[in-house]
Amino acid sequence: MAPLTIRQATKSFGAVQVLHGIDIDIQDGEFVVLVGPSGCGKSTLLRLIAGLEDITTGDILIDGKVVSRLHPKDRDIAMVFQSYALYPHMSVGENMGFSLRMRDVSQAERERKVAAAAEILGLTPLLDRYPRQLSGGQRQRVAMGRAIVRDPKVFLFDEPLSNLDAKLRVQMRAEIRSLHKKLKTTIVYVTHDQIEAMTMADKIVVLRDGHVEQIGSPLELYDAPANAFVAEFIGSPSMNMLEGRVGEKGQSFITAKGVELPLEAPPPLEPGRNAIMGLRPEDIRLGAHGAPARILLIEPTGADIHVNLDLNGDQLTAVFHDRLELTEGESVGVAIPADVVHFFDVETGERISS
Amino acid sequence: MVSWQRGLWLFFVPSFGLLAVVLLWPLGYAIYLSFFDYFLGTGTRTFIGLGNYIELLSEARLWRSMWTTIIIAFGSVALEFAVGFALALALYRLNSSAKVFSVLLFLPHIVTPVVAALFLKWMLAANWGLVDATLLTFDITPPDWLGDPLWAKVSVILADAWIFTPLIMMVLYAALQGLDASLIEAAQIDGASNWRILRHVIIPALIPAIIFTISVRLMDVFRFFDLIYVLTGGGPGTATETITMYTYQLGFRMLEVGKASALGVITLVIVAALLLSINRALNSIYRGGDR
Repeated sequence: MAPLTIRQATKSFGAVQVLHGIDIDIQDGEFVVLVGPSGCGKSTLLRLIAGLEDITTGDILIDGKVVSRLHPKDRDIAMVFQSYALYPHMSVGENMGFSLRMRDVSQAERERKVAAAAEILGLTPLLDRYPRQLSGGQRQRVAMGRAIVRDPKVFLFDEPLSNLDAKLRVQMRAEIRSLHKKLKTTIVYVTHDQIEAMTMADKIVVLRDGHVEQIGSPLELYDAPANAFVAEFIGSPSMNMLEGRVGEKGQSFITAKGVELPLEAPPPLEPGRNAIMGLRPEDIRLGAHGAPARILLIEPTGADIHVNLDLNGDQLTAVFHDRLELTEGESVGVAIPADVVHFFDVETGERISS
Repeated sequence: MVSWQRGLWLFFVPSFGLLAVVLLWPLGYAIYLSFFDYFLGTGTRTFIGLGNYIELLSEARLWRSMWTTIIIAFGSVALEFAVGFALALALYRLNSSAKVFSVLLFLPHIVTPVVAALFLKWMLAANWGLVDATLLTFDITPPDWLGDPLWAKVSVILADAWIFTPLIMMVLYAALQGLDASLIEAAQIDGASNWRILRHVIIPALIPAIIFTISVRLMDVFRFFDLIYVLTGGGPGTATETITMYTYQLGFRMLEVGKASALGVITLVIVAALLLSINRALNSIYRGGDR
């Protein structure tokens, strides 16, 4: 258990710079998720923390101590790999005890610690099996067991759930979360899946092209995205983005395609200004009044209905929890309740706040 | 099995037919001949049962050549494996620009063994060969590479290693490429030193490839002929006379075809038994877990 600080970290592979001055402060015991599209540098950042890649400039501190140039084994971290990286010729027990053995812990002590970790993860009946005899979820659990057996200062997870099927993923998500509650160890977790990030994190770091876009709690990111990229990345289905300008009376938003959407509350920017308006699918209301739109497609998911709307050439996605009586091709009115719209600068994509 | 699949055995016929003609028939014929006293000089063939076997197994020359074969086989395979594995690990660690070396290192294996043996013979020639000439400029008196009984064995082993180390290197290098790199990274984080990563992660993962290379090389080296034939001709005396050299002497020099066939059968049995036990030993290490 320890705080982790990353200061001005950069990483270049030859002439290609993949991380540009990353600053992150992670509190003791915090669950931090690094999220971003593929190629954003999130895995590289995790490997810098682990010491599997050399940092180009900047510093990494674990528990107040600079570890930037230390060998992975001297950083007191444990890592769970995407492929699990279980040693195939060793039994579950041997896999879990390997790090202790490499640190010359006595056999009795080793067995005690492995048994304790196996107990926490429900692996006790599997200790004598080999990785090839285990299911995906069990392997995942062994990989976590190997990490917790040593009681390191920081756990690193590199997309650990991406090889599991959807149902198991949800289950393991909850297991990792409850494991964190039990152990209270600092966790840095990498994923490209924003749902994983939202459900598991205390704090999310959104990365794009080697830059930090925003750091905050899941709901901060959802409610007040710092820019259009974060706004589109967080939330499923993605936020709708409409280019246009604020109506002359300041009571509506006129899209670039010429539709005037009435706003119930006046926007925080001067009338006539060009902007991108972001609108979460779950915030759209349909009714007899409002801007005219046509229903293109209806996708029922059981719990929700996803509706694709055509707003004079702009496509909108809306989500409804009620089973509305809608038909494809039907014309409806789109209304936007107060206080749910986001505005972003057309040039920079930055949030325009009131 | 689906009914249309029953006819598939027909596809097996051409390759089996070929194998039968070039492999099974000669083998059967050799076993048949081994029961005869058959001197090619007179062409008379007399059935003597196990006579050839009894005569051969009581001969000192057979056991001496067997012993020579084993020394040369294990010596060269051990050397090839050690050097080949070290080179494969070095290549694995090098970045891509340095991988040109792998092509250079593979060159000796592209040369036909007989050609390689011929120019090794020139290089090792007494006094004026490249090796001797070089050593003499440093005032080192070189040994008689091909004329001394002990050094002749060493020269043969070195020559075989020169040709076949690249093969082992390439097979093990390919196997290393297939290794999940995160296994090594996991072991680094677990605190294993480079030596322990090699011992506990890399070697266990390579066992199938290691079994393959060692078995193939041992099988090959027991049939070892061309290099020795050119380099030493089995000499000096019988210092480098392996079983195959002895078989050749019996069959084509002394024209004792029956006896030579019997020796071939003995070789087959011994090599098969040896390889089976080596495979079993290596496999048991693999299955035994990590102790």
